[in-house]
Order: sequence, then C-alpha cells, then structure tokens
Amino acid sequence: MDVRNNRRDMTGASVITANRLLDGRIVWLAPQGWSEAISQARVFDNAAVEDAIRQARAADANTVVGIYGVQLDPDATHITPLTVRERIRAFGPSVHPDFAPVETSHVH
Amino acid sequence: MSTDTATLPVGRYAYDQVDRTFLSQRVAQFREQVGRRVAGDLSEDEFKPLRLMNGLYLQLHAYMLRVAVPYGMMGADQMRELAHIARTYDRDYGHFTTRQNIQFNWIRLEDTPDILERLAGVNMHAIQTSGNCIRNVTCDEFAGAAADELLDPRIHAEILRQWSTLHPEFSFLPRKFKIAISGSPHDRVAARFHDIGLVAHPGPDGRPVFDVFVGGGLGRTPIIGVHLRDNLPEEDLLAYLEAVVRVYNAYGRRDNMYKARIKILVQALGVEQFREKVDAEFAQMNRADYRLEPAIVEGIRARFGIPDLDAPADAARKLEADRKADARFDRWVRTNTHTHRHEGFISAVVSIKPDGGIPGDVTADQMDLIADLADEFSFGEIRVTHMQNVVLGHVRKDRLRDLWRRLEGAGLGTPNIGLVGDIIACPGLDYCALANARSIPIAQKLSARFANPELQENIGTLRINISGCINACGHHHAGHIGILGVDKRGEEFFQLTLGGSAENDVAIGQIIGPALPEDETVDAIARLIDTYLVLRNEGEAFIDTYRRLGAASFKDAVYAPA
Repeated sequence: MDVRNNRRDMTGASVITANRLLDGRIVWLAPQGWSEAISQARVFDNAAVEDAIRQARAADANTVVGIYGVQLDPDATHITPLTVRERIRAFGPSVHPDFAPVETSHVH
Repeated sequence: MSTDTATLPVGRYAYDQVDRTFLSQRVAQFREQVGRRVAGDLSEDEFKPLRLMNGLYLQLHAYMLRVAVPYGMMGADQMRELAHIARTYDRDYGHFTTRQNIQFNWIRLEDTPDILERLAGVNMHAIQTSGNCIRNVTCDEFAGAAADELLDPRIHAEILRQWSTLHPEFSFLPRKFKIAISGSPHDRVAARFHDIGLVAHPGPDGRPVFDVFVGGGLGRTPIIGVHLRDNLPEEDLLAYLEAVVRVYNAYGRRDNMYKARIKILVQALGVEQFREKVDAEFAQMNRADYRLEPAIVEGIRARFGIPDLDAPADAARKLEADRKADARFDRWVRTNTHTHRHEGFISAVVSIKPDGGIPGDVTADQMDLIADLADEFSFGEIRVTHMQNVVLGHVRKDRLRDLWRRLEGAGLGTPNIGLVGDIIACPGLDYCALANARSIPIAQKLSARFANPELQENIGTLRINISGCINACGHHHAGHIGILGVDKRGEEFFQLTLGGSAENDVAIGQIIGPALPEDETVDAIARLIDTYLVLRNEGEAFIDTYRRLGAASFKDAVYAPA
C-alpha cells in the first residue's frame, strides 16, 4: 500500500479510486461501477475498505489501473479527500480550473 | 549514402530511410502491444515497461507522453506536428521540460499509437524518454550560433544519440542515465550535474577533444560531477563512454533504486578507483570497433543543414537604431538575446515564462506561431532550452524588431531571460504522480509579484528553481534560490536553499532552515530578495552577495515573524 496515497487510519471513511485504462482518467468506485465524479463515489468505513479494494482489483484489473483507497476529510460537508494530492486528483489541477472533471451522473 | 544538401533541415540531422523504417516498425509494434493490453492479453505489470519504453507514463490525471527533442533541436515542421498533437489529442497545449523534451499531459492510451505514427511522420519519437537507459542527450541551446563557441556540439550529440538508441548492453542500466554536451567554455548545459558531462573543444591538431565529467546529478543526493579526464580524442569518444557506462552497468547498485545512479557508485569507489576501472575496461576493448574516424563524423555532419548567414552590411547598425527608437524593444534585446558568431545575426530567446504564467507551457496556437516565426526569421530552426524556453538561433539583426513585435502580440515577448521571472519549475503535484507539493502556483505567484520589468532588471541575474519533490526535476539544488516542495501530513510545505549554480561556478544550494507553509513561501522569498537589494554592493548579483555574506544575513528575512 502506498501510504502517501492513502494516509488512511483505523477510523474514518474512504473512497476507492483508480485510473481508467483506456484514457488514464481518474475514476471513483460508485455503487454501480466507476464514475469520473468523486461526488458519485461510494463511501466505505475504513474497517471495510481493504476488502472492497481487493474485490475491485480482482474484478476490474483490465479496465482500470492502480486501485487504492483515499481517506476522506471528516470535517468536509461533501465527499472531499483529506490530502492535497487527492484533492487535486478529485477536483483537477489547481492551475487549470477549466480542466476540472465534469460533473456527470455517468457510471460505467 | 547520398544527401541532397538543398533539402537538408537546418540545424538538425536529416533522417534517412533506415531511420524512418525503424520508427515505423516501432510504432506498429507498440500498436500491437496496446491492442493486447486492451484485450486483456497483457496485464498492467506486463504492459507498463512496454509503454514506458515508448515514453508513456501514467501520471496523476491521465497518461503523459514525453517526446524527445534530440539535443533540443527541431524544425518548424516538427513544431507544427506537436501543435497538431496538442490540439487533437491533448487539451491544446504542451509542456517543455528541463531535459529539452516536450510532454503532453492529457493523452489517451487508445490514441498513443496514432500519435507516435504522426511523430514518426516528422522523424520524431518518444523512445528512451523513460526507463533505465541513456536518455535524450542535451546540448547548448546556442549550439552552432554562439559567438563564444569553440566547437559545435550537435554533431557529437547526434553521434551519441545513434550510439545510445536501443544500445543492446545499455537498455536496462541500474537507473536512468543522462548525458549533456557543451562546445562552449561557458557551461550552458549544467555539465557537472549530469551522469556524464562533456565539454568539447578543439585539440592541438584542430580535431575535437572532450573533457569528461562523471557522477554529477541532483535528486535526493545532489553531487557535483567529478573530473574524469581531459582531452579525450574524438576517435575514442564512443569507446571511452562505452567503458564508463559498462563500469556503471557492472558495479552500479540494483538493490536500492535510491542508490543506483552512477553518482553513488563514483562516490562509493572514489574517483581514482572509478577511473582505474574505466581505464581498465577502455584498455581491454577493441577500440577499432568503436573508432570515430573523421570520415564518419563528417558523414554525420553532412546530414545537418547549415543556415546561409547572409545579412546586409548595415544590419547591426539598423538594430542599434531600432533599440534607440524603442525602449521596450531595447530592454528585450538586453535580456532575451545572445551574441551570434556572425556579426549580422543574433540568437533570440523566446520566453515561455509570461508574467504569472506556467513555466514551459505553450498552447497549440503558440507552437504554430513559433513554427511560422522560425520559418520567417530563423531558417525553420527551433531550439528548446533546459531552462524551458525556446530559441530562434539565427535572426538577422535588422529583422529582430519585427520578430519581437510578433512575439509580443502572442504573449511570447516577456523580457525576463535570466531574471527573477525566468523560473524553472517542474510540473509538481498538479500533474506529477511523484510530487509532494505544487511547483507551478509558487512560480506563478513569484513571477506575477515581480512582473515589473524594471524591477526585474534592477534585481539582476537571479535563478529561481522549484521542484515539487526530492527528485529535483526543477533543479532546485542548482538555483540561486531553490524551492523544494515537501509533504507534511498531506499538506504542502516549501524548503528554501540558497547559493546553487549549474554554470561554471557550479555549487549545490544550502538549506537555510525549516520548510515554510505554502501561503508564507512567496512572501518569504520577496523579503529575501528585498534583503539582497539592501545588502548588495553596486553591480553585485544575488549569488555574489550571498557568497560574500553567507546564509545568516538572509535567514532572518526568511523567517521574520508575519
């Protein structure tokens, strides 16, 4: 586990992320598949997230790359990663607001 | 091998059919590999080394394709193809790097074979822009043009490119390997911060010889390269470099990637023992197999187009009159040009660092414009610099003002080369999967803060280099002011180093104290620069004031209470 990517602790909640194989775009595990919008992501209790990551790796190794869990900020009102790195992944490069992921309900 | 000299591209090597066939086969091979990955016949672990061999990384937001610009030289046709790729396959821009490459940050795996095919169509590729092999050989951006040049390094850079590309022994070195070559006594390639740095000059008989430095580098263990030998004859260049890389390949550590670069080996063995091993390898080689006969070198040289440097007799006088007539143009000439070997010409540096902009980023339209301007003003020849700028190498002095006006109109006329706004910055945490902190926003804030050109000229020569992590892609150790992004429990902090230099006065910057929070960093650097302005002697550059007074004089300014 890449600790820097996760910074997950024993408590709290996480979401699961990866890059899509065909275009490399960041995706988040949603209740029915992978979404480009973190707002669609399924939130896991940290006690359950490792199992969910294992299942996703087994099921989706040929459609997404680099599956791991992302600790969420417990104080945020919306689904928001705890670290700067993951916030940039979730919301796009800070120097190009125009490149932020488009909010859609599309899940694949 | 026949060469039609009338059609040779100026400043770069003309590929022949063998080169073109090789690239075409390579693209077909990668297309097939991508197909197998998409079909699930290759796992990611199996596919990753294959895509990296073609310069395709998976970065923070998407795939990133790094395209080689051999020794920084390209033609207008190649730049137009890069613009097309930016427009069609990326988000309308590309990013010039400190390795004289260009990177595209929003590439789709599916599109990559098509992109590589387009690149091959203009004799470009992404081979060996990644992996533990010999990377793009870098070179002086004023090669073949500079007044102070002793020897044009591009010919030997091309020879090294051909030697190192798919070298069967050196495709899996302990770590990546970087070579830079300079033909000027003024080091503009950071020769002593490379795995091998070569400084070329004419030998006693007029044939080229090389002074060799080895084991330099930045990263988590910054080391200044040691002097391995002087006056390496041209005919032995390949044999000797082969011996150096063989010793590294044999003795370099493979158990720990952080200790795998040649700099660690050279330090561990000591320069004397390292030199003995190289000399022993060199002595037992069949040197005839590697000998660079003058005819071979001249054969390579013959495939470089040379510019027809014909300028009106009054070109220099016209430039002087233009400068007197326009103070803004005069300022740009002072900062953004370099003396040419021909009195009627000058080299123009196009700043890719607009005030408040992202260092090294160019839009597709700007790429097209640079290509047009290269055709119109500089024989269709373009150079990418390791400072993330672009050079038009041979501009007639009487036409320089026309060029400047066109650049200004496109936001490419910023007069800041070598000044505080000419910041080197890696992509940082906004794009890079390895980074700990964002580099670009610090660069943007600093360049906006010091946007006033008069203030910049008053501050004078000042190199600010920013890296988003310890890997030092932004060369922070070599900056007069170096800025290193560090991660503290998921938040960005920045550590300052002072006194670095990559030039003849090579030095590694020294850390001056604890890292600063992101929102305090720019103010701290502004106070540091203000302190320099107070403490400097007349005409003294920042680096000289720092060396005269030491870090203590600046520390209080950096850590002053808010």
